[in-house]
Amino acid sequence: MMTMPFVRRMPRVAGLALGATILLVASFIVQRADAAYVEPPVLAAAVAARELPPVDQRIPAEPLVMDMPSTGRQTGDYGGSLRIIEAQARDTRRMVVFGYARLVGYAPDGTIQPDIVKAVDVEEGRRFTFHLRKGHRWSDGAPFTSDDFRYYWEDVVNDKDLGMNGLPRELLVDGEPPQVSFPDALTVRYEWSKPNPYFLPALAQSLPLEIARPAHYLKQFHKRYADPAELKQRVADAGQRNWVALHYKLDQPYKNANIDLPSLQPWVLATPPPADRFIFRRNPYFHRVDTAGHQLPYIDEVAMSIAGTGLIPAKVGAGEADLQANYLTFGNYPFVKAAAEREGYDVRRWRSGKGSRIALYPNLTCADSAWRALLREADFRRALSLAINREDINLAVYYGLARPSNDTVLPGSVLFQPSLATRWATYDPERARALLDGLHLTQRNAEGIRLLPDGRPLTVVVETSGEEGEQQDVLQLVAEDWRRVGIGLVVKTGERDTLSRRLNTGSTVMSIWAGLENGLAHPNDSPAELAPTNSDQHQWPAWGLNAESGGKLGEAPDLPFAQKLLALNEAWRRTLDPAEKASIWRQMLEINAEALPRIGIIADVDQVIAVSKRLHNVPQTGVFNFNPGAYFGMYRPDTFFFAPPGARTAARDGEGALPQ
Amino acid sequence: MSEPLEHWVSTEPFDPGRTSARLSKPSTRYLEASQARLFWWRFKRHRLALVALVVLAIAYLTVIFAEFIAPYGVATRNTQHIFMPPQPIHLFHEGQFVGPFVYDMRGRLDLDTLQRHYTEDERRPRPLRFFCKGEPYRFWGLVEADLHLVCPPSLGTFFPLGTDRLGRDIASRLVHGARISLTVGLVGVAFSFALGLFFGGIAGYFGGATDYWIQRVTEILRSIPQLPLWLALSAALPVTLNPLLVYFGITIILALLDWPSLARAVRSKLFSLREEDFTAAAEMMGARPARIIARHLLPNFASHLIASASLSIPTMILAETALSFLGLGLRPPIVSWGVLLSEAQNIEAVALYPWLLMPMLPVMVTVLAFSFLGDGLRDAADPHG
Repeated sequence: MMTMPFVRRMPRVAGLALGATILLVASFIVQRADAAYVEPPVLAAAVAARELPPVDQRIPAEPLVMDMPSTGRQTGDYGGSLRIIEAQARDTRRMVVFGYARLVGYAPDGTIQPDIVKAVDVEEGRRFTFHLRKGHRWSDGAPFTSDDFRYYWEDVVNDKDLGMNGLPRELLVDGEPPQVSFPDALTVRYEWSKPNPYFLPALAQSLPLEIARPAHYLKQFHKRYADPAELKQRVADAGQRNWVALHYKLDQPYKNANIDLPSLQPWVLATPPPADRFIFRRNPYFHRVDTAGHQLPYIDEVAMSIAGTGLIPAKVGAGEADLQANYLTFGNYPFVKAAAEREGYDVRRWRSGKGSRIALYPNLTCADSAWRALLREADFRRALSLAINREDINLAVYYGLARPSNDTVLPGSVLFQPSLATRWATYDPERARALLDGLHLTQRNAEGIRLLPDGRPLTVVVETSGEEGEQQDVLQLVAEDWRRVGIGLVVKTGERDTLSRRLNTGSTVMSIWAGLENGLAHPNDSPAELAPTNSDQHQWPAWGLNAESGGKLGEAPDLPFAQKLLALNEAWRRTLDPAEKASIWRQMLEINAEALPRIGIIADVDQVIAVSKRLHNVPQTGVFNFNPGAYFGMYRPDTFFFAPPGARTAARDGEGALPQ
Repeated sequence: MSEPLEHWVSTEPFDPGRTSARLSKPSTRYLEASQARLFWWRFKRHRLALVALVVLAIAYLTVIFAEFIAPYGVATRNTQHIFMPPQPIHLFHEGQFVGPFVYDMRGRLDLDTLQRHYTEDERRPRPLRFFCKGEPYRFWGLVEADLHLVCPPSLGTFFPLGTDRLGRDIASRLVHGARISLTVGLVGVAFSFALGLFFGGIAGYFGGATDYWIQRVTEILRSIPQLPLWLALSAALPVTLNPLLVYFGITIILALLDWPSLARAVRSKLFSLREEDFTAAAEMMGARPARIIARHLLPNFASHLIASASLSIPTMILAETALSFLGLGLRPPIVSWGVLLSEAQNIEAVALYPWLLMPMLPVMVTVLAFSFLGDGLRDAADPHG
């Protein structure tokens, strides 16, 4: 794909040759070491005025060379403004996902490869040595060195004021912090006594763990480095409580709202928020180049407009976006497609990486004791699932183009087995009735709704945070199906934040959400989603909180299947053997399919993507997923470029091929 | 020189009725007619109001017999006919008169554009059936029945206004929606009318401290912003309650906020009327205040009351439509015109499926009809008209 060999998934490799030191070096060849780079015209004036050094001095001595032809891409040229549309001003964060420059990042085949760093050495899955690129600079021109890593480690997370919340979860193995050392300006080492399989994925995430911070910029806000009087003045000017609050406010790389914060992303925020149109300019010091001597990104700027969610499809249909996927649903496809020819864009369908487009989450830890007792009965959840006519939903809402399935991994993942998708997910209302009768839910009210043991009608309140009509439509059809087996369903619509608050207090009985985040999982990806590990998990928020807080908050899981899942998740973390990892994954998927903590409804609903005909190098097909994937990020938007339509042949599928 | 003036004396016998003017037959009828009859005569002169009355009568008949008139149930889906445009009704098949019939619609999904294209299959006419047995329903939720005014052909479909995204008949949903949209508002109006008369009546009749405090309360009520209140209520009420009941409750709460304007009008009118001699006479004869207000004072400005009531009904209908459109009023699965419109609130409806905007038409027609009717009623009730 790129000129460097893949960095294998570290733990797998480590497992193959345990104890051996495996050096993973991106042994690229600087093909144009002596050739002059091409100055982007948009920066030529600044270079001429000596405000910027020339391009040769801005690019690291060892850049990441993207070989366009060999990855099925074309070599492009500089220029243009990429128009995208988002719904909220806080969506400036999307550019951190979209740009997807990470210390290490996921490639479309699911492997983790070096990106900002030149190479990572992984030993025994527990010792990680990062080698930085010589001459790499932040977007303001300051050198990017191990001092930036040191600043994060010593002056942020381990500072008694800034780091009062402790280390991030991914940096702790059984509660133990790593040994961090900085042998020279271009080398950083993280070392634990036991394997830490969560470390590199955390760095590669769409919402990354940032272990390098721009020390030269942040020091002016840090008590240890700044002049006390100046710092006091800065805190007062910013209207903050103290320097900790100020430092925290300014150093939020993911939020991407501080125009002065140096960055390593391909495009850097140039419009101070708040605004309804944001410009992101090219990072003159970006570390990726093509083989023809262009510094990436090809596109000079990204112009992000903010519009209401309901208006975004209309704006796309009016040709106001060059590349748009967010806020386009499958239902918008006919409209967007109808205007495509006139407005000069293509409509593509990328595969969704989610386990389910829509899944129901019975809350096994809800506060209402009668409901909790019932929801914890596997037979009740199975009955709910069997009563749903998924094929009818597929036909009515998704043109018959999606796949009725439970919430599990997708075909295409090595872990997929057809029975995982269909078990307890066929349409069998007779069996559902029998299961419900078997739970002694035989009393019914005048409307034919079964009664709970305490006499209340068995009417499930499904809470949704969606403005999306699609969820409402699906729920309406599910309500019809459930009614036939004597279960009522009413929908409660709320805000996303309200829903998560209600989940945390156990007020929610059932909620609706997308299914597994990583539907194309590989045995080396963490299976934590399948076990009660996180308070964001709608099916067992209190259990998840318990795991998150190390047993201090929430409730410990008291159902055998959940305890088993937790134990398996723990076993996965401890092993380096890929075969064992795969076997653990299979067991966990099996338990999930059998116990049905999430009731998946429909999967493989494609993401609709509008791509300007002038925009090249966007794959025809791909997987659209937040994590892993970073939406477009994994497909390297910095290699997209503008050229008249038809001037070059369209990009072939190349890197768009599905993983595995 | 003076001649006596020529004069003439009738030789006919004296007739006492001769002193008053001799009346034509119509004027006799006029003088002898009751108030109600006079009212009806004046109302008849207002042609638009008459038409409006007929339209509303039809509309409310539809409300009463919704299940009978609608060919399909409110949630009946037809997965084979999603987003189908209105199905034409024909009379002639190959030059021959067949009576009202439809052709089968053949749907095809274009996998490139994901649009469904429907064509009429003109081989076989499918006559519509009238007063026929069709989809079973519970009339008013009480009586099992299956008689319909018009049914789809036994093997075909009948979607005269097309279908929505789940393949539901728009025409049937409009008819069922009318039941909610046209009645829920009436309750609110009736409630606020009663409150307005009561508080306006006692304030106007008694005056003094009673009047003072009622005025202050109305001022406070008028200052409460209604939209945020509505928002809060729709969020606070539990969803397990019947959504229709919730909406009813909200309407009544809105009615509680709505009566002050009517109360003010009543009060100011009573101020002048209570000084009239007939009021004094009633008081002298020992009538209680309630009787005086209700029997002697209010009928004096019935024209105003009738007009204001008939004009506030369309306001309520529009309010229901607007609030449901915003997602604050009724919600699916309850069907009202506002709900239908809110479901058509997207770019697809405008660009690809314009028949989804159909519910606008009945809303406009009813609101106009109520306005014309109110106009006619006011003109008719005004003795100087």
